[in-house]
Amino acid sequence: MTDSPLAGLAGVAVLLVALTAGVPIGVSLGLVGMGGLTLMLGLEPALIKSSVVLFETLSRYELGVLPLFLLMAHLCFAANASRDFFDAAARMIGHRRGGMALAAIGGCAGFGTISGSSLATAATIGLVALPEMRKCGYSDALATGAVAAGGTLGQMVPPSGALIVFGIIAEQSIGRLFTAAIVPAITQMLLYCAVIVIVCHLKPSLAPATPRATWAERRAALLRVTDIGLLIVLVIGGIAVGWFTPPEAGSVGAVGALLLCAWRKRLTWTALGIATRETLKTSGMIYVVIIGALIFSVFISLTGIAGQVAAVLGAVSDSRIVSLLVMAALLLLLGSILDGLALMLLTTPILLPIIQQMGLSPIWFGIFLVRAMEIGFVHPPIGMNLFVIHGIAKDVPIGTIFRGVLPFLAADLLHLLMLILLPGMVLALPKALGQ
Amino acid sequence: MKPELPRETSADAANDPAAPSRGPRRWLFRFGAVALLGAMAVDALAVVGRHTGRPLLGSIELVQAAMLMASSAAIVSATLAEKHAVVHLVIDRLGPGVRAILLRIHAALCMIFFAALTAGSVWIFYDLRDGYEESELLRIPYAPLRAISILAVLSAAAIYAARVGAGRRSVPRVGKRRTTR
Repeated sequence: MTDSPLAGLAGVAVLLVALTAGVPIGVSLGLVGMGGLTLMLGLEPALIKSSVVLFETLSRYELGVLPLFLLMAHLCFAANASRDFFDAAARMIGHRRGGMALAAIGGCAGFGTISGSSLATAATIGLVALPEMRKCGYSDALATGAVAAGGTLGQMVPPSGALIVFGIIAEQSIGRLFTAAIVPAITQMLLYCAVIVIVCHLKPSLAPATPRATWAERRAALLRVTDIGLLIVLVIGGIAVGWFTPPEAGSVGAVGALLLCAWRKRLTWTALGIATRETLKTSGMIYVVIIGALIFSVFISLTGIAGQVAAVLGAVSDSRIVSLLVMAALLLLLGSILDGLALMLLTTPILLPIIQQMGLSPIWFGIFLVRAMEIGFVHPPIGMNLFVIHGIAKDVPIGTIFRGVLPFLAADLLHLLMLILLPGMVLALPKALGQ
Repeated sequence: MKPELPRETSADAANDPAAPSRGPRRWLFRFGAVALLGAMAVDALAVVGRHTGRPLLGSIELVQAAMLMASSAAIVSATLAEKHAVVHLVIDRLGPGVRAILLRIHAALCMIFFAALTAGSVWIFYDLRDGYEESELLRIPYAPLRAISILAVLSAAAIYAARVGAGRRSVPRVGKRRTTR
């Protein structure tokens, strides 16, 4: 193992085998990293470095943002806010042709601001929106496809768990990542809405028009999301304009969610206990993944494999766009065998230095990577969101759900291409806000 | 419904040979919850203090210490609840026999990982025993914090060791998907 890039390549191969064999992601990354460091530097430096990573990660102030936002999300669930976004959107536009599917997308975007998770968003909005759409005579393919695709917004809309993890392992500002994600999240949502409008225009029978809600019903539905809407605006806006740092925003958001629970008369010891217990379990899982990823990235940076991959990409073409398209294809290919988090943690240490060599922003790369991860949530064979939706609507064949998500998948690929061709979509807002 | 957050059932806990009795689990949870809520409160107060002209000196150090305690408890909680993120592409498609063998191997690998982290952390702890590490403003000593992190990885290693011994599964059953954010 004197040839370092070769050691890196062997490490990546072993990691892929371990991940696909079902070894926990954090442990796979950590063991491969430790093993590689042991071969390259010796056992003592490998153990010491790994343990330094452990203590630094556990005591890292910036990483506190993760459990705090998770706590905020769980307290918002306890406040029963999950269905309010869909209800409000459905009352406003549900009567139009395809309006309930548009409301499902809006509900996913709204819920994504508190959940930060693609799967939780698809599952929660799916439980509320699917029965409504099917009751209104919507086609199963359109209804399930809209919710499965809309669920991916949970990963992009800030505060996003994936962006927090990327920020930590790539050592980038989480606040800038959140601000940079706003325009891509809005354009992604608009593209999904365009898909629904076009599909319903081409085949109106897929989504019949439904009775219009009265203004009193609309007002009541909007009032129900006012409190949580204000909390979200405070948290995201506060980061964007610099009132507080992301960890502070997590704390402010969690305190706000506690007050929201109390305001809605849902704050009990049981609710608080469940919220903190679930927060601890999910945080523990993510902490182990981050510790493993950081150990793995120390090993990868020692091997110099990124330079070799950059040379290969350079040999393919001199064009930056072509190199990025090759990267996108690689990410989509790996996304068909790995889940999103594994994909991010495997590829970031290798691709990020190349992106920086190309003169591109790591912030842009974070958004690009999360977007590629999201596509993995809706394309076979993993397509976790599709299986989540299938779990909710068991009588809808998985083939129908796959068929339903295809137009949205086309929109996803178009959006990824837009991100490559127009990086300003990502970088303009943080720049305008002076971040 | 939140698919990535399966609630651990009492049956799960009862069947887990690695699960400590309810008392230690309850104290583990209380320890983590108090640390988490403490970090939240201190950070929120620091924001209010900064915007009202009364900055809370050393708030970041307090939050760091509280988060270390919360995250240490979180790692043990996630291990006890078998919440660690796994790629399901192959494991869900295996027969029960092969699957059981593979899961035992996984538990052994997890045990090795956490044991290696424990060994390295003890090594550093021993090397720094006369170092008097402490934070800058509030002089919070680091030694107890290091001890807590060692206890967390040691507990995780012990839980997996018990699972290896009992041949207990270390990832969810077929059909119970567990995923990552």
